[in-house]
Amino acid sequence: MARYLGKRIFYLVLTLFIVTTITFFLMKLMPGTPLTNQEKLSPEQIALIYKQYGLDKPVWVQYIDYLINATHGDFGTSFQFSDQPVSYLISSRIGASVQLGAQAMVIGVIIGIVVGAFGAVKRNTWMDSATTIISILGISIPSFVLAVVLQYFLGLKAGWFPIADWGGFSYTVLPTLALAMAPLAESARFVRTEMVDVLSSDYIELARAKGLSKTGVIYHHALRNSLIPLVTIIGPLAVNIMTGSMVIENIFSIPGIGNQFVQSVLTNDYPTIMGLTIVYSFMLTIVLLLTDIVYGIIDPRIRISGSRG
Amino acid sequence: MPSMDSSKGTDEISFNMMNNTNEGLVRLGKNNKVEDGMATKMTQSKDGKTWTFTLRKGAKWSNGDEVTANDFVYGWRRTVNPKTGDQYSYIYSGIKNADKIINGKKAVNTLGIKADGKYKLTVSLEKNIPYFKYLLGFVPFFPQNQQFVEKQGKAYGTKSSAVLSNGPYTLKKIHDQVVADSNTALNQFQSGKLDAATLTGQQVKNMLSKKNMVVRPMGRLAYLEFNRKDKKVGKAFSNVKIRQAISYALQRKQLVKNVIADGSLVAPGFVTKDLAKNPKTGADFTEDADADGVGISYDKAKAQKLMKEGLKEVGLKKLEFTLSADNTPQEKNTAEYIQSQLQKVFPQVKVENLSLPYKTRLQRSASKNFQAVITLWGADYADPSNDLNIMTSDNPQNNGSWKNAKFDKYMDAANNAGANEESERWSNMVKAEQELMKDQGVVPLFQTSKPQMMNPKVKGVIYNTAGTPFNFKEMYVVK
Repeated sequence: MARYLGKRIFYLVLTLFIVTTITFFLMKLMPGTPLTNQEKLSPEQIALIYKQYGLDKPVWVQYIDYLINATHGDFGTSFQFSDQPVSYLISSRIGASVQLGAQAMVIGVIIGIVVGAFGAVKRNTWMDSATTIISILGISIPSFVLAVVLQYFLGLKAGWFPIADWGGFSYTVLPTLALAMAPLAESARFVRTEMVDVLSSDYIELARAKGLSKTGVIYHHALRNSLIPLVTIIGPLAVNIMTGSMVIENIFSIPGIGNQFVQSVLTNDYPTIMGLTIVYSFMLTIVLLLTDIVYGIIDPRIRISGSRG
Repeated sequence: MPSMDSSKGTDEISFNMMNNTNEGLVRLGKNNKVEDGMATKMTQSKDGKTWTFTLRKGAKWSNGDEVTANDFVYGWRRTVNPKTGDQYSYIYSGIKNADKIINGKKAVNTLGIKADGKYKLTVSLEKNIPYFKYLLGFVPFFPQNQQFVEKQGKAYGTKSSAVLSNGPYTLKKIHDQVVADSNTALNQFQSGKLDAATLTGQQVKNMLSKKNMVVRPMGRLAYLEFNRKDKKVGKAFSNVKIRQAISYALQRKQLVKNVIADGSLVAPGFVTKDLAKNPKTGADFTEDADADGVGISYDKAKAQKLMKEGLKEVGLKKLEFTLSADNTPQEKNTAEYIQSQLQKVFPQVKVENLSLPYKTRLQRSASKNFQAVITLWGADYADPSNDLNIMTSDNPQNNGSWKNAKFDKYMDAANNAGANEESERWSNMVKAEQELMKDQGVVPLFQTSKPQMMNPKVKGVIYNTAGTPFNFKEMYVVK
């Protein structure tokens, strides 16, 4: 297991390095300057400010400078937020994004499992059709459409939850719901298919023949076995939530990093783009790594073959 | 919230916040009227080059320190210091040695500002700056508490605990994020959570009938620039008749009412409406210049005739060009309107549209990589020269390389020799504007506006079209 982990962590670092490098050079290809008052400045004035920030050096020198500083924990200062250190910019915003993402993930997946299992057990009844419709809608309605609908009806018309902003649990309800719908639908559909399969397999018949109760069989044998493959889609679901949160944070005015990322790209805020790219790729690779580890724990076959390879 | 450091901020949100939590030597009231700020008395020398200010005694920073003349000296020096990298430092141009300091050629302490004791301040200029009093109320000229700024270091202005104020309001907490989505802002306004919400595009149409909507004209103009240096069409765009023809072919009323429909106004000329008033008569600059009469009204027959003649003069049968514009709905729609309108009026003209991200558009304009482009320019202070100066032949913002000797002469007189004589200066600027419009060096399209929903219970909000838009000093809420 240790060797397996070591290898995975090496890949993680390598991935981060490649992503950082590609992003850095692609970013430098974007036309325009990171200056916020560009339209008022003459070329000479721009050149002066560039010198001040070291942007007049060749791109590869800037890249090496960046790597050296980054390994010392200095990610530079933002342009859009005049001179705010990128590390502060991210650390003061990441909490909201992580909370929102985690809530959406947990709620989405748990409800998804329940809905999916329910559909499988009640297969071919109207209740099954209802769960199928829910998951189809959840997959096909984009989160930002759902967000606006929730905001209008539950926020403005009913007045149950705050329309936007951040500050306490009630503020998280609408954005969490909007974000949770996709993982809910995905996992419901997935669990239903898996469980229908499992329920008709021989060992379930055997368990029933042994005289186990129906709920016991569903809970101990069917559900657990159908959940194993679900772990494989957790990674992609997390990606879904991370990209979805960029729009959701904007709609609900949540001070998170998703909204910040979009803004930094639009304004050529080089240090912020880099910092957030690293954070996002780190979170993603970590989620994938955790998925692999969890998978190993649930399914011993993978753990064994992993330690050999 | 980008920045609460007056040597760093560049955007409207930061400026609004600083303008209401801090105070410069003067404060700009309604119609940019210069009102007392930190200075209780100010005098200008006869040659206009020296200003002396007497500061209010006993004024305090929010940490209890007294606001003194030194705070201004420190703040101003910090803004022009090239190490600070302020993107607004160019606005100091004209104050003694400012340009040289910004370019790193002179020491920061040579800037023309001197404290004489705690309450006296002397400012030396290289030449009379007629609009200097407006600058004094502009954020980059605000005072800074040296001890506090140096203690905070890089954190200064980035969070509420790292901000000091000396103005009408104290900043308690920086509300971390601005409501970026205009639909969200409108929903919050309708639920009573916000007292004001700025609207965009379609929202304006939907809200027009509601009585709480206010349309505030901005000192920002959208205009069409032609690249005279372009290899293919530069020759055609150098012909005055072709430029005039394009201008006469546009129905600006239709454009702002039906196409953009967000409360923007028909361009009154190159200088925007409600920016500056005649110092003698109080008439708006746009009324004195009356650009409407000299080339920006709609006249189809005249347009067609001019285009025919113009093309003949430059020896062309057809005119085909690419029109670049920002990829925002406002600019995209405008570009599409221009394309269809020009092709409808002139059978010889073909326009291709190119929609670009804002930063790309700026880059291409600056490197003259365009044929025609929709440019936007906003004024920082309430003086027509802030707009007109960018059209002088040597100005880097004159992207299309338009050159007109008469115009340059009028502006030179307004900025230099004739700067001391108010009404002469005014008439020079009026003549310059008329020359620009007669020649259609650029074709003005529309003046942008800020359509807002406002809570009618909030009164006393002062709005100005140039520089920092909002002054809340006299704001109150009725029950």
